[in-house]
Amino acid sequence: MENTIEVKNLTKKYKNLTAINDLSFSVKKGEILGLLGPNGSGKSTTINCLLSLLSYDQGSIKIFNEEMTPDSYEIKRKIGVVFQEVAIFEELTVKDNIDYFCGLYIKDKNTRKKYIEDAIKLVGLEKFKKFYPKQLSGGLLRRLNIACGIAHKPKLIFLDEPTVAVDPQSRNNILDGIQKLRNQGATIIYTTHYMEEVELICDRIIILDKGKIIASGTLDELKSLATIEEKVSVEVQDLEEKYLEEIKKLKYVDLVTYQNNNLQITYKKGQNNISHLIDFFNKNKIAYNKIFSERPTLNDVFLELTGRELRNE
Amino acid sequence: MIIFKTFLKILLKNKFIIITYTAILIFFGCFNTQTNDNTTNFSATKPDILIINKDENKGLTKDLITYLNKNSNIKKIPDKKYSLDDALFYRDVNYIIYIPKDFREDFLANKNPQIKIKSTKDYQASLAEMMLKRYLKTATIYHSEIPNEKDLLESINSTLKVSTQIQMTTKLNTNSLNKMISYYNFANYSILAGCVYVICLILSSFKEKSIRKRTIISSLKSSTYNLNLLLSNSLFALILWIFYVILSIILVGNAMFTPHGILLIINSFIFTLCALTLAFFIGTLLSNKNAINGIVNVIALGSSFLCGSFVPIEYLPKSVTQIAHILPSYYYIKNNELIKKIEIINLKTINEVLINGIILIIFILIFILLTNIISKKRRDFSYQ
Ligand SMILES: Nc1ncnc2c1ncn2[C@@H]1O[C@H](COP(=O)(O)OP(=O)(O)O)[C@@H](O)[C@H]1O
Ligand SMILES: [Mg+2]
Repeated sequence: MENTIEVKNLTKKYKNLTAINDLSFSVKKGEILGLLGPNGSGKSTTINCLLSLLSYDQGSIKIFNEEMTPDSYEIKRKIGVVFQEVAIFEELTVKDNIDYFCGLYIKDKNTRKKYIEDAIKLVGLEKFKKFYPKQLSGGLLRRLNIACGIAHKPKLIFLDEPTVAVDPQSRNNILDGIQKLRNQGATIIYTTHYMEEVELICDRIIILDKGKIIASGTLDELKSLATIEEKVSVEVQDLEEKYLEEIKKLKYVDLVTYQNNNLQITYKKGQNNISHLIDFFNKNKIAYNKIFSERPTLNDVFLELTGRELRNE
Repeated sequence: MIIFKTFLKILLKNKFIIITYTAILIFFGCFNTQTNDNTTNFSATKPDILIINKDENKGLTKDLITYLNKNSNIKKIPDKKYSLDDALFYRDVNYIIYIPKDFREDFLANKNPQIKIKSTKDYQASLAEMMLKRYLKTATIYHSEIPNEKDLLESINSTLKVSTQIQMTTKLNTNSLNKMISYYNFANYSILAGCVYVICLILSSFKEKSIRKRTIISSLKSSTYNLNLLLSNSLFALILWIFYVILSIILVGNAMFTPHGILLIINSFIFTLCALTLAFFIGTLLSNKNAINGIVNVIALGSSFLCGSFVPIEYLPKSVTQIAHILPSYYYIKNNELIKKIEIINLKTINEVLINGIILIIFILIFILLTNIISKKRRDFSYQ
């Protein structure tokens, strides 16, 4: 499949600090690429370099098969950006704000009118068209921010942490909207430090840490990087020591812990583990309740690769 | 187009504060103009003249009387009851001219005949005197080269036709002129404060960092964007200028349509462009809305004080006026004062005014250049 973006050996330094270090990756047409990384890992810097908002020290950036420069207006025409910070005019209504940013790309009034309506519908701000920003909640502002960035129907969309500090309703709306945009044919680059979001909507993921790519691939590819395969938790009253030893000897079991009547088992491989465990409980007449299984998360992957938790809040 | 539209919307959103601000400026502007009123209020009527002609009414003599008639009210000789002195005393006439017998012949023969006068010695009398002297002086000058009477009269008339009107109006309206000058000197403050305040206010919205980022990544060329923004601001400055000009016409009256008034208006136009580009430059530099008030005070009040917008520059210490040379306001106000002193407007007399105008235009170019440099630099966000 053809690549919408090609980044090679990108390095950006802020004075002494190397914010991104020798980054190479590509974005395929029509996919949602997630840039996942903790705060300060260089996600915004990467995006700003891609957009030529920042000068960089090394590397090459090609978008739509052409080199991206500050004067690549034809490339810029096809790009929409939603920055981390809300960028809107306090003096303008919701509609006028979208009108302005859309108007930077689209001259024709009638086209613009239609596009504005589409954008408002996409983010669900129909009831707030005439509102001024200061009358909107944080979540609604974020949605407006997105509408302003994508109203001109760009083929390539950058979203930099659009869901930070957003209420669940707005978050769902935003994630839905992003998927709709992809379904309409846009290629999307989505940065976040929330792994759940990435798991939910991204086709491919790049995990960044300290300005370096530490892993990349589809969700399944990344999860296969984790040495664990399945985590099972069971609530068991007063489990005897001897049974614990026996469980450790069951097939594929890697680690077993038992604390506060909570039994946790990590398996190296994941097939029929729970049913084998239940068989074992039944055979030995052990009473249990609340049994559930977890696949490894990106957090586990991140933890294994860096020795740190992805989330630090 | 979208930039202009948005500009207007932001302007309208700020209308209350802008109107209040302008109202305050106008209030002080009017106040300033009124206090500068001269107490003696000359009316702009023509002087009343009495001509006692002992010469034949033809040729040069006839022409002189026609000329005087055009620019003054020629009175009939009063009733015998009144002596001519009484007529002067009661201001029935301002000026009495005795044309001696054979005046015309003597003059043409270079015998230098004397015309006697009597005068009320007031302002209007001085106008009459000025007219008479002007005619005689012109006649004398031309006569040394043109002996033929008919050609001589033609030359005199064509010269006087051009300059009389100007001379008359300026002298007639010394008071209006004073009013105009103090109004336009004060306008230095109003225009500068108005431009800097409003333009910075609106630009601070446009140039807010995140909005600018979005604008820069858009497909709109940055030169197009800057030009659009400059044009929108220019339109505002233009409206502001027209507004102040209209206000001056209301305050001062028709005198604004005299050459002096028009020079003042042109001068203020160039200065408005200067204020516009300066405001645009500051707006590009400035990113903090809260700093605007301070900036306006420093720039508008500061330069108005230093350059004699409120207090005539003669009263300021030399060291202050030295500093003032680096400010555009200095050249604007200096021009106002120069225009005030000019009697007859022609290329030679307004030479200095033109030079100051050119200096103002150089200021405009410098501000545009600086703005360009700054906004180019600001495209890279690494350093912010
Ligand atoms: N303008 C700047 N000047 C200096 N350092 C910066 C600047 N912007 C970001 N950084 C640093 O670069 C690193 C990457 O920042 P950023 O790209 O904003 O990370 P993220 O978006 O992933 O949170 C951080 O350590 C941050 O402190
Ligand atoms: Mg960031």
